[in-house]
Amino acid sequence: MDTLSEAVANGTATAATRTTKDIVKERFKEDETIEYIFEAYQIKGHEYSNRLLALVTSQSGGTFAIIAFSYLRTPLTAANELIVNKVFAIDHNFQLRQDSKTSITTQQFDLSTAEDGPIKYYYYATESDHYEEFVAKVISFKSTMAQHDPETVLNFRWLNDYRQIGEVKQELKKRESEYIVYKDIIIYCATWNVNNKTCCDSNNPLRAWLACSEKPPDIYAIGLQELDTPTKAMLNSTQMQALEKQWIDNMMESVHPDVEYEILMSHRLVATMLTVIVRKQLRQHIIRCRPKSVARGIFNTLGNKGGVAISLQLNEGNICFVNSHLAAHMGNVEERNQDYNAIVEGIRFDDGRTISDHDHIFWLGDLNYRIQEPPGQQRPGPLSDAQTYELLLQYDQLRQEMRRGKCFEGYTEGEIKFRPTYKYDPGTDTYDSSEKQRAPAYCDRVLWKGTRIEQLVYNSIMEIRQSDHKPVYAVFQVKVKTRDEIKYKRVQEEVLKAVDKRENDNQPQINVEKTVIDFGTVRFNEPSTRDFNVYNNCPLPVDFSFKEKDIHAICEPWLHVDPRQDSLLIDSARSIRLKMNANVRTIAGLLRKIRASDNFDILILHVENGRDIFITVTGDYQPSCFGLSMETMCRTDRPLSEYSQDQIKQLMNDESPEYRVTMPREFFLLIDYLYRQGSKQVGAFPSYDSRLSLGAQFNSVRDWLDTWSDDPFPANAETAAQALLLLLDLPEQALLEPVVENLLECTNKSQAMDYISLLSPPKRNVFMHLCMFLRAGIESQFYDLHQVASTFGRILLRSTERAAWMDYHSRCNQFMRLFIDTDVEAMGNGNEGAGTGTGSGSGNRAGLQA
Amino acid sequence: MARGFDHLFKLLIIGDSGVGKSSLLIRFSDDTFSGSYITTIGVDFKIRTVDIEGMRVKLQIWDTAGQERFRTITSTYYRGTHGVIVVYDVTNGDSFANVRRWLEEIQNNCDVVKKVLVGNKNDDPDRKVVITEDAQRFAKQMDIELFETSAKDNINVENMFLSITRQVLDHKLRTSPNEQQKDTLHLKPNPKGSKGGKCCR
Repeated sequence: MDTLSEAVANGTATAATRTTKDIVKERFKEDETIEYIFEAYQIKGHEYSNRLLALVTSQSGGTFAIIAFSYLRTPLTAANELIVNKVFAIDHNFQLRQDSKTSITTQQFDLSTAEDGPIKYYYYATESDHYEEFVAKVISFKSTMAQHDPETVLNFRWLNDYRQIGEVKQELKKRESEYIVYKDIIIYCATWNVNNKTCCDSNNPLRAWLACSEKPPDIYAIGLQELDTPTKAMLNSTQMQALEKQWIDNMMESVHPDVEYEILMSHRLVATMLTVIVRKQLRQHIIRCRPKSVARGIFNTLGNKGGVAISLQLNEGNICFVNSHLAAHMGNVEERNQDYNAIVEGIRFDDGRTISDHDHIFWLGDLNYRIQEPPGQQRPGPLSDAQTYELLLQYDQLRQEMRRGKCFEGYTEGEIKFRPTYKYDPGTDTYDSSEKQRAPAYCDRVLWKGTRIEQLVYNSIMEIRQSDHKPVYAVFQVKVKTRDEIKYKRVQEEVLKAVDKRENDNQPQINVEKTVIDFGTVRFNEPSTRDFNVYNNCPLPVDFSFKEKDIHAICEPWLHVDPRQDSLLIDSARSIRLKMNANVRTIAGLLRKIRASDNFDILILHVENGRDIFITVTGDYQPSCFGLSMETMCRTDRPLSEYSQDQIKQLMNDESPEYRVTMPREFFLLIDYLYRQGSKQVGAFPSYDSRLSLGAQFNSVRDWLDTWSDDPFPANAETAAQALLLLLDLPEQALLEPVVENLLECTNKSQAMDYISLLSPPKRNVFMHLCMFLRAGIESQFYDLHQVASTFGRILLRSTERAAWMDYHSRCNQFMRLFIDTDVEAMGNGNEGAGTGTGSGSGNRAGLQA
Repeated sequence: MARGFDHLFKLLIIGDSGVGKSSLLIRFSDDTFSGSYITTIGVDFKIRTVDIEGMRVKLQIWDTAGQERFRTITSTYYRGTHGVIVVYDVTNGDSFANVRRWLEEIQNNCDVVKKVLVGNKNDDPDRKVVITEDAQRFAKQMDIELFETSAKDNINVENMFLSITRQVLDHKLRTSPNEQQKDTLHLKPNPKGSKGGKCCR
């Protein structure tokens, strides 16, 4: 990073390696210069995003700006990796503030403009020197801008290429030449100083002036001056509007009769009016149209002189029309030049565009430049042939001033082959016969500037005689930049595809070593782990996380994932550890999952802004008696260790009432062992709460049970008691379901027995056998009635809903006492039920012992 | 930042494993086809921007795993989808028979969503087992437009994606009238958000 910024700061670029500045430069136009590049960053949430702040100046705009880029990768390799993030015009409102009060780091600053901000940027402490330089430059540029009058509209139009437009537009602009064609249009410019006269009365009075072109024009720009005396105009604006309307109506009646026209815009400054009329068909191709005027004349503010301009965009071409009335009188050449310059300086359309920011500019009006002939030659002769006009034009002030570079720089005027248009005795073709005897002059002119403009006609109309000026018109053929829609569509499609492709190619990607994680043999109460790698081999840093699923967790409870989320730098890998734990807390859920599917879980590995990868977690669960229902166990015909996951899945889903044994062998073996321990059972049954903490010897008991081992019991009575509790407690359903609720309501044994008889045979037998066993132990005083009733009651009558009842525990206790309290037994009469249980039990025992 | 598009839609491609969902997507987004078959294990997406009557529509197209075991998990991706592309393989009758199940999946997970039915691999008449007339009849009955495509030979793929996009766009324009200003001269992207037309819970 240091070397990069140094290269930037020093501007050192060897021929072979391009500096950041070289690359950034490609993003800008030719007349835009990068003054400085500063590396900063922004913090969004937990993320740091690098930003390149380019301080840029535009020659055409004469203004400065900061453009903030985000970039896809470091180091930067191509200009298209830069994405414009923010644009700050350095104008009167622009501010760079360093505010260290609110934050932990002092390496930060805010940028703001009238529209935007403040936006916070940070920089690395190592960049402090560069920061100083950056700030110094920004401040110096800002003060340059501040020298302008605050009212001046600064030209930031060049920034539009970076602002508000996405990659697609930039790309389209670059390939403009591929879809731009030039279409011929006819522009008709007309100017007339009407000398405060009202409109003519005859039909189509202006047709002689406005319909002179062979082909119907596409656009008319008609300028009038001295529309009415300033005093009258200011008195009554409705009158003025009526007058204005009358003129415009007249124009509309007098334009070329072959096609339909409509008024695009008319704009008036006191007595100077500019009206733009377009062919109806053309209207929809005019994208933008804006007026502006600059008042001159008395005190340079009254507007009796000045300029009116209309800017419009036709297809892709920008056209500007100006109608001006400049200072009068022979001697005021300098004033006329000043008026011209004031109009050029003063016209800024609302989008910041100036007159010169147009492809085609047409300037018409009463420019008032006179013919200053040497003394003695003032009166023109017959004034009828080209020679005479040429002679006169030698003394034309406008041409002289243009030659001297005093005004209309870059403008062209066509050959003049008509008589001076000023000053006539109104109603005649006779030059001023009054006392003043004003020298005739070419006051009324049409000039143009720009590319692809050809003048077809330039003339005046002698037959229109109301005014002391003759109207003038000029017809142009202009080749206007136009989008070829078919070509444009094709280019646009290509550009969109390229931009989309870039987005698709830059999509964060990670690779996973495997999408199936196989735990191999998974045993109850034996946690195991598996590791797998994720790699980032895309050109961006990538964030990944395991996505929360509809169970509101990223994985099932028997799994644990570490890490749940992380970031991967380019070309790096991360090992993910999965832990599988089928323990007392998770076994019921895991068995449920096994019943329904063939995997332990599917994890969603989510790549931020990218795809999701499904990771299937599988393995072979080694069936064990723990967690299985009594019914399932009664369907086995061999030790559980000899079953596969699929086989036990089948048994779990078997709902037939056929059982191979009356009660699970594993249960019977435990009871049998405990029973034989006699007094060693004392204190063996733990409290309800400690049933889940397994001792060290537990797994050997598990294997002993699951293999139907002939070996001696591998642990002590305490472990056997614990195993018995788990065997009863771990199945998903409590032993006495589905009649738990009913049993909790029972008050006597015979009532309870009715419900017990509804249980499946395995459950019923287990219950009766268990009660018999416990009763015997209590009778022999191996354990305390109250404790045993409480522990077993809550296991056999497990109910999440009822557990909230105030008297749930006492009801459980009470229920158990019905069956295991010898005193209650004596009072009760449930012998038949117990008898059945015992019978089956004995039979089983006999079978086992055989 | 300007968005560079007028509308953003999310499309989802579903259907049995191996019918060519990813191939259709890659044909549409990259205009390429790879003969080798790689099972999608997860959910992948690509973007493509198309111009529909002067409006720039950015499509984010999600390609889902078709395997049975992922069915539950992929159903969570239906949320927020504007259009669903249901794909079967014209050379595989089972994949066509399963279309009904996939449509139910849509019914269960989305409210209002636009659909198209796509019979892919329609490039070898000898291997074709789902005849067009049957598929057409079924599509009509279900009120869905049918497209027989080949991602391999690039037949009808573009058409199909553009059709579902048009359906989604029409629906959006009809339901949010204030976004309907169809000014051909209006070059800037519509500044309003692309929200609305949401179809799922």
